[in-house]
Amino acid sequence: MINVIAAAEFGGEFEGVLEPINQLFNFPPIFELSLFGLDLSINRTILIAWLMMAIVAGVFLYGLRNPQIVPGKFQAFLEMIVDFNRQIALDIIGPKGLKFVPLLTTLFVGIFALNIAKITPLLMLPPTSRAAWPIFLAAIAWLVYVGVGIKEQGFLGYFGGIAFPSGVPKALYIILTPIEIVSTLILRPFTLFVRLFANMVAGHILVVITLVTIHVFLPSPAGWPIAAFAFIASPLVFGFELFIIGLQAYIFSMLTAVYISSSMEAH
Amino acid sequence: MLLATIILAVEEDPDSIALLPDAAELIWGFFAFGLLMLAIIKFVFPKLNQTLEDRSAAIQGKLEEADSKLADAEEAKRRYEESIADAQGDANRIVEEAKASADALRAEARERAEAEAQHIIERAQADVSAERDRALQELRTQVGAISVELASRIVERELDDATHAGLVDEYIQRLSNQN
Amino acid sequence: MEGSLNVIGYGLATLGPAIGLGMLIGKALESMARQPEAAGMVRTTMFIGIAVVEALALLGFVLAFAL
Repeated sequence: MINVIAAAEFGGEFEGVLEPINQLFNFPPIFELSLFGLDLSINRTILIAWLMMAIVAGVFLYGLRNPQIVPGKFQAFLEMIVDFNRQIALDIIGPKGLKFVPLLTTLFVGIFALNIAKITPLLMLPPTSRAAWPIFLAAIAWLVYVGVGIKEQGFLGYFGGIAFPSGVPKALYIILTPIEIVSTLILRPFTLFVRLFANMVAGHILVVITLVTIHVFLPSPAGWPIAAFAFIASPLVFGFELFIIGLQAYIFSMLTAVYISSSMEAH
Repeated sequence: MLLATIILAVEEDPDSIALLPDAAELIWGFFAFGLLMLAIIKFVFPKLNQTLEDRSAAIQGKLEEADSKLADAEEAKRRYEESIADAQGDANRIVEEAKASADALRAEARERAEAEAQHIIERAQADVSAERDRALQELRTQVGAISVELASRIVERELDDATHAGLVDEYIQRLSNQN
Repeated sequence: MEGSLNVIGYGLATLGPAIGLGMLIGKALESMARQPEAAGMVRTTMFIGIAVVEALALLGFVLAFAL
């Protein structure tokens, strides 16, 4: 799909093409493993995900193993992250949202850690650019906000509230009911999934193209200007990706809070 | 339905990005994220909330302590000022009293001195008059006696002038010796 | 002519979100400038809106590779 086009004409010496595009994301298993008829082979993505989760858990457990009343720099930094999520919960859900702070914090730091693998040297692959992770995270958000809705309004109250929003002429229900059901129960988790997934896929492709361009055009003098351009552009690309990484983690956490908040009050 | 078709189509095409999750990744991801969430919910947040409560309690306690200390300090200052004012008043009173007592003492002393002086004068006057009276009395008796004696002497013998004079002198001499 | 129709599809798919993002951010800036005290709330809502609109463009992007 991505042909590194015209590489030869401009002095590049890269023979291969990045085709199929899935090469960038799908890696062969490192350990073959099969349990109960399921293929549980461990590949690079899974290792990266485990590493990032372990780092996040380690940082939090170590940094807050013995929290002081007067925090040190590290503890203050971790508290700032938690406080950021507490602010999201308080602003969007209100005082009732405080019990969701652990969930939102876990989502935020988890997504951030998984995404940051995109621009971490030696890893350079965000596990969230594989469909499994965004789907899993979106499923968590979906389960939580549907569960909260059922708990707060009752089964019929919640689904009835979604299907038949009040304050609308009865005739409009013919159009509105399918739209509401689809948008609340299907489109919400689907957009959560697609947003994270697509951002990470796009970001990964962008990073790969930038770095591969340097690699491809560096060998011969004719390609140096293009390689130099890519070399100068790469920090900008990394910075932009860092911004996207943080923004996606923030948006995922915040949208989960928005959906929980909308489940708490009747439509 | 359309979505399912899309996903199935995707799955069959190895050249494309997979929209369907890899089962292994999903399961391992579930474990990884579950453990992270467990760690954060079970171990991080209880401690963190405890710390936050402790911190707010500590801040509250510190504020109250500061308030009570401020009140104490103001009380102490008030008492100090009061005691200073008291001391000032005491000092003034003592000075006043001292002045008054000094005045009283002085007046008394003068009075006593004056009285004594008066007394002395009176006694001296009394002495003087008594002395004079006694002297007059004595003189009177003596004059009588002397006159009688003198007359008897004159009568006893005829005296010449020289004897007369000698007699008078002798008398005076004796008179002055008597005194 | 060689190439993929997907790319054209993606190009078309960006148009709507581009217009949407332009209007959204423009309006958000306008209201922030008009009421600076409400800037925090406007910014939050703007990010939610951006996320929703951007999802369309990204959907186009992913489907361009996926199909």
